[in-house]
Amino acid sequence: MKGNIHLLKLIFLFLIIFYSGDEVQSQTKDPDEILTKVKEAFKIVNDYEVDIHIKVDVNFLKVPDSNAKLYFKQPDKIYIESEKFVLLPKQGLNFSPLALLNEKYTALYDREDTIRGVQTCVVKVIPIGNTSDVILSTLWIDQSRDLIIKIESSRKPLGTFSIDFTYEKYNDEYEMPSTMIFTFTIDRMRIPRGMNGQLDVEEEADSEKSGPREGKVYITYSNYKVNQNLSDELFESTEMDGKK
Amino acid sequence: MIIEDKVIEVRGLTKDFKEIRAVDSLSVNVYRGDVFGFLGPNGAGKSTTIRMLLTLIRPKEGSIKIFGKSLMEDRNDILKDIGAIIENPAFYNYLSAYKNLEILSRMSGREISSNKIMETLETVGLKERSASKVKTYSHGMKQRLGIAQALLHDPELIILDEPTTGLDPQGMKEIRDLINYLSKEKNKTIFLSSHILSEVEQVANRMIIINKGKTVVEGKVQELLDSAEMKVTIEVDDVEAAGQLIKDSGWAGKLLSINNNKMVFDVKTDEIALLNKYLVSNNISVSSIVPTRSLEEYFLKITNESN
Amino acid sequence: MLQLVQIELYKIFRKWRSYIGFIAIGVLGVIIQIAMLYEGQKSLDFMTQNLRDSFVFVGNLLNGFLVSYLILNMLTVHIPFLIALVAGDLLAGEATAGTYRILLTRPVSRFKVVSSKFIAGNIYTFSLILWLAIVSLGVGAILFGFGELIVIRTGSVLILDRADVLWRFLLAYGFAALGMSVVCSLALFFSSLVENAIGPIVSTMAVIIVFIIVSAINIDLFKSIRPYLFTNYMLSWRLFFSDPVDISKVLEAVLILFGHIIFLFSITAIIFKRKDILS
Repeated sequence: MKGNIHLLKLIFLFLIIFYSGDEVQSQTKDPDEILTKVKEAFKIVNDYEVDIHIKVDVNFLKVPDSNAKLYFKQPDKIYIESEKFVLLPKQGLNFSPLALLNEKYTALYDREDTIRGVQTCVVKVIPIGNTSDVILSTLWIDQSRDLIIKIESSRKPLGTFSIDFTYEKYNDEYEMPSTMIFTFTIDRMRIPRGMNGQLDVEEEADSEKSGPREGKVYITYSNYKVNQNLSDELFESTEMDGKK
Repeated sequence: MIIEDKVIEVRGLTKDFKEIRAVDSLSVNVYRGDVFGFLGPNGAGKSTTIRMLLTLIRPKEGSIKIFGKSLMEDRNDILKDIGAIIENPAFYNYLSAYKNLEILSRMSGREISSNKIMETLETVGLKERSASKVKTYSHGMKQRLGIAQALLHDPELIILDEPTTGLDPQGMKEIRDLINYLSKEKNKTIFLSSHILSEVEQVANRMIIINKGKTVVEGKVQELLDSAEMKVTIEVDDVEAAGQLIKDSGWAGKLLSINNNKMVFDVKTDEIALLNKYLVSNNISVSSIVPTRSLEEYFLKITNESN
Repeated sequence: MLQLVQIELYKIFRKWRSYIGFIAIGVLGVIIQIAMLYEGQKSLDFMTQNLRDSFVFVGNLLNGFLVSYLILNMLTVHIPFLIALVAGDLLAGEATAGTYRILLTRPVSRFKVVSSKFIAGNIYTFSLILWLAIVSLGVGAILFGFGELIVIRTGSVLILDRADVLWRFLLAYGFAALGMSVVCSLALFFSSLVENAIGPIVSTMAVIIVFIIVSAINIDLFKSIRPYLFTNYMLSWRLFFSDPVDISKVLEAVLILFGHIIFLFSITAIIFKRKDILS
């Protein structure tokens, strides 16, 4: 009987050590290594051209659904072409891991997390220096594909935003975003009044009463043309507003 | 028995402007074919009465019938057959004379051709200036144009308020001739208000004199003047003897003045012959008798009496 | 009646003052658009500055629709004046010129005379608004082309697809014409009371300006008066640039403005019918 109790203690101790060892092992996942893999995976695609469909769902902003053509070239060149006016989220549109990660930063491994049934590891990135208005970014990385499937950022002074990506394999080779959902919160909307005056004075009072404003922008990507050797001249056009 | 055809029948017409009674129970009859003189001093109520006849002013009381119809009930029908000038005629100065008449013709309720418009302008001597804007017209020309617009639609009744204002003597004569022509040849009825009483005397057959909005006298011009006293100037060879004779006689009260060889008396028409006979029978030679009867003097006398 | 209206329109368009409105709108409209050509993008960037912090703008919002929208906003006081200039003269001008005497001694009822002037005045009003539309949209199309329309109000931004804009403008101009018809009726009403055109013009503008000021001041007493002021509804053409369009508010404004027109015309007709013409 004494021998059985002693064996149980050993097994129990072993299990504790084993699982503790696992935790110690996971706590020591290298965030820089994870991010480097993401950067490398991103570099496979040199350029692409894609059709995008944009739907804006913001409580203070009413915009009709629109279509455009998006051109991208490494590391962060973007050009948008559209017959009609198009409103696109700045942060999500030209989001490039390279742009985020080429600046100086400190990365911290946070935890494992499951999003939309996908196992991810969560890495926090803190930019160093005053060059960026981003205070903190949290990245959910699908390590099986080295893809960022969610990012959450806090910016000063405008508030937080998050972007959710889904990907599809293109040509059995490239994992390309198929949808992007940009979610943001803005505490105060400083829209000038001067344009139209007031339709109804009560409108002004109502608008001031409402709380923080939030919304979503949905972008759907289709008809990718990847690595077509797009020329740099295309990205020099001044038509697109807000280009970096 | 002749049934007289009344063109205008006014009964008890009254109009107040605040506390002032401008027209006071006025009654007037105008018959077909009349040239009716409508007389009175300034402020007597002539203009107000004419404006009431033309529905520019609403009467406070009274009735107006024109062509046997009530003016209140058959206004449009009645106005189709009236042409009028009220004081200084006014037009759309930025339009030509022709255009002014064309506009008025389209509102007249009658088909009036452009030929008729030009004929009317020719009648009043404005054909050459038909295309000129009215603002370039002299006062006299505007007066002529006023007459043209009154006659344009061939009305049965023509109301003329001071039609000769601003016209030269030739123009005045033309108006008189026109009035006579319209009355005698065309059997139009003319309601004429004028302060130039000699003009009225020459054309009017019937008249009314009003003062302070009321009728003073109404009737045929000839009869009224015949029954009235007038000035007679008698020229004699011996004015001293004649003067002495008159002073000692019942004619003394009729003597107004003696000047050189002329004696002025205030007598009725039928007394002239008697006075002449009296002088001659008393050996006073009479070289001339000049009656200076005038509507003007009659008018002044009557209105002074009514004041 | 048609003949009378034709005569009144002829008289209106033969006066030089009637062309002041067309010239003013033509000149102002073109000047505003040329100014927008050079400075408009800066203004638009400023107005959308906060949005640009979060969003990228692709395409050009500075187009003929935006400029036409701004012109319609800017001219809300100017156009009533231009209308009062003509409508205020419709009756008082006849008194000043002395032409009441030839006009009202015709076999035409006074009601028809005043109605024909009312109709002609409104035709003039509508033609002025039509001209505004032509200058705004026509010159706007030439200088800027057309595109999406951005409508910025406090607390919200609306961007309308270009295919969804023109019908709104047509209704907005139609509504603006209705609002200006109230101004025309008001000026005609004042014109029936006096014998000089200056009075009606000044009175009409005084009423409009006082009403606008009362509408703008945010105290309780004025707030309770505001729903009864027609100027409150003259700007309701902006309702057509909402999504969705609040039909009930549009109908309310239409009914109120129509009510004003009918009321003002009725009083004018009664006054005119009973008026003694002494001029």
